[in-house]
Amino acid sequence: MRFVFYLLMMITVALGVGFGLSYYALTDGRLFGVAQVGPWHAWPDVGANTPNPYTRGHLARTAAFELGQAEGLEFIATVDSEGEALTRDCAYRVDGKTPLATFWTLVAVDDAGINIAASDVAPAMRSSGIARADDGSIVINVGTRLLPRNWLELSGEGPFRLVLTLYDTAAFSGFSSDASMPSIIRGDCA
Amino acid sequence: MIRPLLWILGGLVLGGIIHIIVILTLPALAEQSVWSRVATLAADNRMVILPPVQAGEPNPLGLDPELAYGLCRVDLANGPAYVSGVLPDAFWSVALFNPSGIVTYSTTNRDGIGQTLELGIFNAAQTRLLAQQQLDIAEGLLVVESVSDKLLILVRLAPPHRAMRARFEQELSEVECGTRAASGT
Repeated sequence: MRFVFYLLMMITVALGVGFGLSYYALTDGRLFGVAQVGPWHAWPDVGANTPNPYTRGHLARTAAFELGQAEGLEFIATVDSEGEALTRDCAYRVDGKTPLATFWTLVAVDDAGINIAASDVAPAMRSSGIARADDGSIVINVGTRLLPRNWLELSGEGPFRLVLTLYDTAAFSGFSSDASMPSIIRGDCA
Repeated sequence: MIRPLLWILGGLVLGGIIHIIVILTLPALAEQSVWSRVATLAADNRMVILPPVQAGEPNPLGLDPELAYGLCRVDLANGPAYVSGVLPDAFWSVALFNPSGIVTYSTTNRDGIGQTLELGIFNAAQTRLLAQQQLDIAEGLLVVESVSDKLLILVRLAPPHRAMRARFEQELSEVECGTRAASGT
């Protein structure tokens, strides 16, 4: 009787650890294969021709056209700089500098990857189309309610993700130590 | 007291093994890949413009709404593949995807090749033939060796402004792409 109990316990632990760890590693990926800069994370070898097994698993799960290593790198943020999950109830400020890149785009998507920009505005914010401070730093306001300056207007409600795609970037290429990413600062909430 | 701990330790080790097996077999078990998601597009040996991303609509391929995408599917078993055309003066990049959805080659126009996109793609045997023939490679032609025969060629083109998108997509669709039969060379 005791043997059966121990056996069941072992199987439960094994299944929990095995599948739980796999899910966590590929969903959040904070354990292996992911580069984390502030609230942003990226899979640096997603565009390599021999990605590591975790990145391969990530590729199999997304089944999307990823950027090749020469083309750029995609950063995703699901939390703000304080670690709170991004939600459309609040306004956010993306503030700071981006790594060297030919250009970048910023989009907001929901958990299913659907673009959630308001229907009558451009679905993405682009580096060449925003007003900047004198030192080249950016301030982009993100939210569903009216915000000043560069405003990425969102629609709907619920959690969302910010995707910052750097094209032709030197970040994580080994040639640039500049890995400064903008911070995401939470503003007023409904 | 020591026995339950041993059982739990055994569970952890077994869990680690399951984890490694899951990670390693996941790519093979995946039901969808970029390959299957674009299977319905008639992109064999021609450049197809992917529909632009609209707000509120699914985006399974993870495309950027600011970019125009041209996709071409080739099979090197029919001969070496080529991509040839002149693109507008804006940022563009090319990526080759193998059947597992892994980028096997990528480059951008910032690497000194300007507006002309000239790409020759060869598998191992064709590369060897090419080397034996000691042909002069035309300047600006990029020669790419590919391990797999089946490839998806994705050209990303970034119109500087949305108003230019239609014209840029038109120019992107005029890029020639396909394979050359061995008898033709």
